[in-house]
Amino acid sequence: MKKNIALLGQSFLRNYVLIAILALIVVTMLVEPNFMTFANLINIMRQFGPLVMVSLGMTFVIIGGFIDLSVAGTISLVAVVTVTLIDPIGQVPAILVGLGVGALCGYVNSLLVLSSGALTQAEALFITFGMSTVYSAIALMYSGGSTKHMRFLKGDTSVIEALGQGSVGIFSVSFLVFLVCLAVLWVFQTQTRMGRAICLTGGNKTAAHLCGVPVSRSIIAIYTISGFMAAIGAIILFSRITTASPVIGAGYETNAILAVVVGGTTLKGGKGSVLRTVMGVLLVILMSNCLNLLGVTPYMQVVTKGAILVLAIWLDNRTQI
Amino acid sequence: MKIQTSECILSIKDVSKTFPGVKALQKVSFDVRRGSVHGLVGENGAGKSTLMKILSGVYQKDAGAGTVIFDGETIENTTPHESMHRGLAIIYQELNLVNTMSVGENIFLGRFKEMKGMRGTHTSARELLDRIDCKIDTHKLVSELSVSEKQMVEIAKALSFKSKLIIMDEPSSSLTAEELVELVKIIHQLKEQGISIIYISHKLDEIFDFCDVVTIMRDGQIIDTKAKVDLTRDEMITKMVGRSIENEYPERPQNVGATLMEVRSLNTRKLHDVSFTLKQGEILGLVGLVGAGRTEIVRAIFGADKTDGHQILINGSAVRIKNPNDAKLAGFGFVPEDRKLQGLVLPFSVESNISMASFEKFTKFGFISKSKESEIGIRQAKALVVKTPSTKTPVKNLSGGNQQKCIIGRWLENDPRIFIMDEPTRGIDVGAKYEIYVLMKAIAEKGGAVILISSELPEVLNMSNRVLTLFEGRITGEFNPQTASADEIMRAALGMTEGSANP
Amino acid sequence: MMTIMESSAPLLKLATKQKAFVAIVGMLVLMLFFDTNFYTTYNLLDMLNSTSILLILAFGVSLTVISAGCDLSIGGIMVVAGIIAIKLMDVMPMWGAILCALVFGAFVGFVNGFLVVQQKTEPFIITLGMGMLLTGVAQQLTDARPVPASNPDFMIIGNGDFFGMPYLVIIMLVCFALAHWLMRYTQYGRNLYAIGGDYEVALYSGIDVVRTKWIAFVISGAGAALAGVLLSSKLNTGSSIYGETAALIVNCGVVVGGTSFAGGIGGIPQSALGLLVFGILDNAMNMLGITSYIQILLKGAIIVGIIWMDCFYQKRKRELV
Repeated sequence: MKKNIALLGQSFLRNYVLIAILALIVVTMLVEPNFMTFANLINIMRQFGPLVMVSLGMTFVIIGGFIDLSVAGTISLVAVVTVTLIDPIGQVPAILVGLGVGALCGYVNSLLVLSSGALTQAEALFITFGMSTVYSAIALMYSGGSTKHMRFLKGDTSVIEALGQGSVGIFSVSFLVFLVCLAVLWVFQTQTRMGRAICLTGGNKTAAHLCGVPVSRSIIAIYTISGFMAAIGAIILFSRITTASPVIGAGYETNAILAVVVGGTTLKGGKGSVLRTVMGVLLVILMSNCLNLLGVTPYMQVVTKGAILVLAIWLDNRTQI
Repeated sequence: MKIQTSECILSIKDVSKTFPGVKALQKVSFDVRRGSVHGLVGENGAGKSTLMKILSGVYQKDAGAGTVIFDGETIENTTPHESMHRGLAIIYQELNLVNTMSVGENIFLGRFKEMKGMRGTHTSARELLDRIDCKIDTHKLVSELSVSEKQMVEIAKALSFKSKLIIMDEPSSSLTAEELVELVKIIHQLKEQGISIIYISHKLDEIFDFCDVVTIMRDGQIIDTKAKVDLTRDEMITKMVGRSIENEYPERPQNVGATLMEVRSLNTRKLHDVSFTLKQGEILGLVGLVGAGRTEIVRAIFGADKTDGHQILINGSAVRIKNPNDAKLAGFGFVPEDRKLQGLVLPFSVESNISMASFEKFTKFGFISKSKESEIGIRQAKALVVKTPSTKTPVKNLSGGNQQKCIIGRWLENDPRIFIMDEPTRGIDVGAKYEIYVLMKAIAEKGGAVILISSELPEVLNMSNRVLTLFEGRITGEFNPQTASADEIMRAALGMTEGSANP
Repeated sequence: MMTIMESSAPLLKLATKQKAFVAIVGMLVLMLFFDTNFYTTYNLLDMLNSTSILLILAFGVSLTVISAGCDLSIGGIMVVAGIIAIKLMDVMPMWGAILCALVFGAFVGFVNGFLVVQQKTEPFIITLGMGMLLTGVAQQLTDARPVPASNPDFMIIGNGDFFGMPYLVIIMLVCFALAHWLMRYTQYGRNLYAIGGDYEVALYSGIDVVRTKWIAFVISGAGAALAGVLLSSKLNTGSSIYGETAALIVNCGVVVGGTSFAGGIGGIPQSALGLLVFGILDNAMNMLGITSYIQILLKGAIIVGIIWMDCFYQKRKRELV
């Protein structure tokens, strides 16, 4: 654990982007006293939920040497399916079906990537983009294009409400869900054989295959995890905003990639960690929050995020090998 | 031999080149006379290719070390492009053509404007190809050509620069006998046109056939430069191989036992009905040209490539191997041809590179035990004397020999019965080579068997108990290297004789 | 097994190489069986007119793809350039404003070139990030609302015609001729092919690889800016919402035409055919009254299918070598 912290420290020093964002946070603290208020911190914690889930899943895809643009479509589809199923089959089964749909979407992606023999990130990028369009279209067709509001539902939505608004002590329920997911994924990545197989796949697919490492199963695993985590993110997202529109997931894919790269996981595959991604998400959200408090328009925030993404990829490319 | 500079097209003096950790060339000097065919011989790793790359400008020689005078001009810090325009062309083993473009455009690559467009390009290309009696359509894509046709295109390209000196790097390494005759004809034509040629090869026949002067290199140094008529074959071989031959290799394994593995009728796109046996305690060498199917055989056996049906029997019982994991479980070990691309996960630590083929030993219920993994890493690194600051060091920081040891150690952890080694000593310094030979021997003597593939014939001949020759995807002979001559074996590997001289 | 593989290889090759042509013929034949207004001069011209902007985008992108790159920022460049042209028209003459927009596009292309060619960054994700950044810029400039053009003459470019031939189609044809001439009949174009075919060989042949490829990105940027100006003129408004998926559709269209992400093959006429597939598909689906959601679904599925085939063909090629 000590070593992990040291590693994090190293990546901080290496990563100018992190330093820039930290500087922004310090400036905000000085200029805007509202930043350190309890209400604002709670706000940050709530925003944290959906993005961090999606990003954790994305981390595995990127460590495995690929990329997943389909999470936008997956989130939309899962949100719409889950909400519409609450009335007919009840909330818990609906959530379970939603999670299943997410995992299925990821599984389908992995089969496409595998069967086409795609080796590079670029190939995976286009395939998953296409699948994102497909999933979004299914979401639109399923919902008829309309936004579903939770308050119009007849069924019991207590669990979902608890997920969105409830808290245990000072922690929101969604934050606890996040802690559980993080712990499971961290153990999976660092302590299990499959996690290691994923890292080796990202490091060198050919060498891994020749050593009998299950490369195909790793690829299936990374995309399925990504789809499943996107589904969790989707459910947390609509539980918080209490509506589910068929375009709810738009933009999550780039934000997740941003968080993963800013966290210090390299796009070249092989190396990375879910803990770093949590840092990345935290920084991205804090940045949004700071920019908000400083009165920067949401559009300018998109510009900033885009600029940071470009900068982070550029630096990632320079610092590695 | 002192020659006037004006008579020399190229004169190299005291050129040295150092790579990190390796002295590739030490004070190399020789002259090439105008209009001569100058043979350059030496074993793999003798420094021939490095020297050529310095001449062409791909590498730069060590600063201040020696001079290169080409056609009366002293050359410093050149680029491939510059030297081409100066009239010095190199035809590499790995051919320098853009596969996706036509023959004509490849000849005039980057000179479209000079040729006044597409039509001019193709007319001029036609003229050049006619000069060497080559019938290839200039509109054909290079990817559709055979290796020898590609060589013709390269020669035409060299002519297009009005080259005064053409260097051919192992041009015959993947040619059939008839194609070689064609090439020799062209070389004579070029000579008549006053063009000098440096012909690099390790096949003595060719050198004796048509070279005027021969330079022999070994270990980055020039051993001798002599007119062919003053040189005997034996003299040349002795100078090429050097006196260190006796202690370059350990003794080969002694106790060859019963049949361990039998491969029956292995067929793929490139292999035709390959069958052979492997005996316990032996090292089996595979000899053949690049592309003859050596690597294809071992990859197919190992389950890395698809086959069109074959049978493998280990100790008499059939084994099905669909992928490398099956092969691993069946007791195979595999050192792939390309260490960096196929063997190592470069950014990962020595330890995880060693442990990656033996997950079973340090996982329980799918969970990794880091301490057990460390043990494996340390054990193998120690056993093979891997020179590394720690087993946590990224493997990319190690030297080639130590990297190769990591790959071998990775498999030794599984105690493999059948160890496949594809070019295990490529790009490794002499000391580490010897250590790897000793390891090979140890595996065989512990009751396993080794299949050895190498482009360095002496290595195969000195280490193997038995040698199989391959030509165009077929086994063309089986030899006992202790009794058969290198010549006989090479002839079979070139497809010139069928049949075998069984041990 | 052997014979099946060998006999299917030429068929697969044909289908992959000529897939755009096959698809177009297929759609044209299919439309014969439906009683629609598809086969009227008016409709066919209209289809060409509405595909023109995508085609202009594709010509520039083809240059980057042929040189083994890719440009996913064109959507962003397009919308921002369109907005710049409209906004600047208030303060300067129309042509000046248009020129500024084109210069802007070329500048973004220059930055892309710096990152991708000079700094050797993976082009796919970094240009995607650049597109995201520019989308933010567009939103900031317009406050995410459509901006009408002040100069009534501006509309004429995108909507007028010359003896029945829309200006847009004429401009597109001029661009087509220029791009085709550049790629087929000039040293620059041939050098681009060489770079895409084999970077090292091109380098050793004395081609200034960095500058040549860099210029391809500048041309792609300028082309995207021109497309943006034309789009604004056609709609008489500048808005940030157009072109969200244009980048990926255009890049896929280029691949459909037979230009592979591996580089070195393809050409401008092929890209034109590839984009026409999408143009005809759009038009035919509208004619057949297919609902918009299903249209999105089909487009996504087609993108996945095409990229899947491209990857599969590359894999086959790798195996045969």
